[in-house]
Amino acid sequence: MYKASAIKTVRGNSLWYRLKEQKWLFVLMFPAFIATLLFSYGPMFGLYMAFTNYQPGGGSFLHQFFGAEFVGLKWFEYFFSTGDFYRVMRNTLATSLLTLLFGFPAPIILALMLNEAKQGFFKRFTQTVSYLPHFISWVIAANIVITLLASDGMLNNFLVMLGVIKEPVAFLQNGPLFWWIIALSNMWKEMGFSAIMYLAAISAINPELYEAARVDGASRFRQMWHITLPALRPTIVILGILAVGGILNAGFEQQYLLQNNTVLEYSEVIDIYAYKYGLQNSMFSYGAAVGMFKSVVAFILVVIVNNISRKVNDQALF
Amino acid sequence: MKTSLRDRTAQVIIIVLLSLLCVSVIYPFLYMLAVSLNVGSDAAKGGVYLWPREFTLYNYEIVLGNVVIRHAYLITIARTVLGTLIGLAVTLLMAFGISYRMLPFRKQILAYVLLTMLFSGGLIPLYIQLNNLSLLNSFWVYIIPSAFSAWNMFVMMKFIQGIPEALIESAEIDGANPLRILFVVVLPLSKPMLAAIGLFTAVGHWNDWFAGAFYVSDQNLIPVQTFLQQLLSAQDISTVLGSNNNQEALARGTMLSNVTLMSIKMATVMVSAIPILCVYPFLQKYFVKGVLIGSVKG
Repeated sequence: MYKASAIKTVRGNSLWYRLKEQKWLFVLMFPAFIATLLFSYGPMFGLYMAFTNYQPGGGSFLHQFFGAEFVGLKWFEYFFSTGDFYRVMRNTLATSLLTLLFGFPAPIILALMLNEAKQGFFKRFTQTVSYLPHFISWVIAANIVITLLASDGMLNNFLVMLGVIKEPVAFLQNGPLFWWIIALSNMWKEMGFSAIMYLAAISAINPELYEAARVDGASRFRQMWHITLPALRPTIVILGILAVGGILNAGFEQQYLLQNNTVLEYSEVIDIYAYKYGLQNSMFSYGAAVGMFKSVVAFILVVIVNNISRKVNDQALF
Repeated sequence: MKTSLRDRTAQVIIIVLLSLLCVSVIYPFLYMLAVSLNVGSDAAKGGVYLWPREFTLYNYEIVLGNVVIRHAYLITIARTVLGTLIGLAVTLLMAFGISYRMLPFRKQILAYVLLTMLFSGGLIPLYIQLNNLSLLNSFWVYIIPSAFSAWNMFVMMKFIQGIPEALIESAEIDGANPLRILFVVVLPLSKPMLAAIGLFTAVGHWNDWFAGAFYVSDQNLIPVQTFLQQLLSAQDISTVLGSNNNQEALARGTMLSNVTLMSIKMATVMVSAIPILCVYPFLQKYFVKGVLIGSVKG
């Protein structure tokens, strides 16, 4: 057995031999290779249209694509010079930061609470229930949010009953409130699922640490503060860095499904804006330029954040 | 002991907060179930919170009797089954090939895949590309563009690399070609991983409304979730059900007047969510496993 593999490595030095040897592997990988080329690299090269005046119409695609008038950075300048840029970035950042503010600590707190809860049916039940929203579509989640927040909805009825408000509030018709609604519904939908990572990190903690702390008379709270939280630190740092890197991903589905005409000023995050101009108004080049702006900034952020992570945490994502 | 009192208070607070979380997840579904089982015009008066006041199955009769919804359901099932199988196959084959350390150009192929995770062309160029490939307005737009997932590929690769090399080597020495190694050695050992990733892929297909809303304009091709999205933004019930698709229901006009957009919406939500709600409790441990496979870093 040892001999056979030794012979193979000697012969395997020539690249051509290795290619021939592995031709079956290449055949197996071919579909994925082509799919990546068509659906990832194709659109990347398609970004060329952000620098032209692309108009679909008669004639072959290549003719339209390369024949379109080259306009340089016109669409980018247009985006930065209109008031749209300020508004879109404000909405994007506001939504992302609020989502981060609620959505980031929530799974940590949930994991800590689940860890403190006594083993048993209640704990397992809560855990199972808490992941559930992750597995339902945003269409259904949006339906729930809209129903809950409607002027005759649950929340209004409840608040009126308690006497907090005199008459129903139109929650979903209030501009800045829209950011909070998105952030809170993001939190509701994802916190249970994100807690899984933290729970896994907690279950890897050596139980002897807790025993030692108990012997020293540490309360549950002090055990959590001095043992559990420090053990979670690497996970928190990695996930936090990832979250900051994705700050421009303020969402599309949530806004698209929850928005209405009265909050458009606040719901228009960058992806919604690119879609609106690119597809709804058929300004393909402009939409592509806005999308490209986002992709480039997001790429730079991820690279920066990855390097910081490598320095601070000695852990890099790539 | 004085700490135990504090601990007990903490326990109570934790239980209260966790119960609130459970209620916030479970209650909306109970509410939607109650409204969907209530006579529409009666529910519109308000006051239905937990259980139906005037029980009826009529909303479900309309939803399940509607040709458009039934068709959308078939589309959803077809894309979930086909999309999951094809997606798993394409991604697994790539992961298997790339796991082989002696593979020529292995680094370059990895970089080729990794770059797509960091940078994307965005929605508009993808749309144009789908148009070029004649995928717009076709059933295959649900399956082909999402068949290969770079993220899942990396998870699978990590898993396959964890398989003891000796197993693969001994099969190689017995003269097995890569395809045989895949089927005889790798596949049987990868079952839990494939189950987890397959479940995530299936849920993704079941829940996707985006492709149906933006890449497809033919109403005969939309999946349930897209139908639901249209229902969500509909102003009145006729936009969805009135268009002579529901003759038999329209014939019973007196009954139909009791149906509201709200009750139909809720019945459709339940119909589209029930499969997930039903299988979820049994499969959730695989979901958890899937997350943990993905989070193991190498």
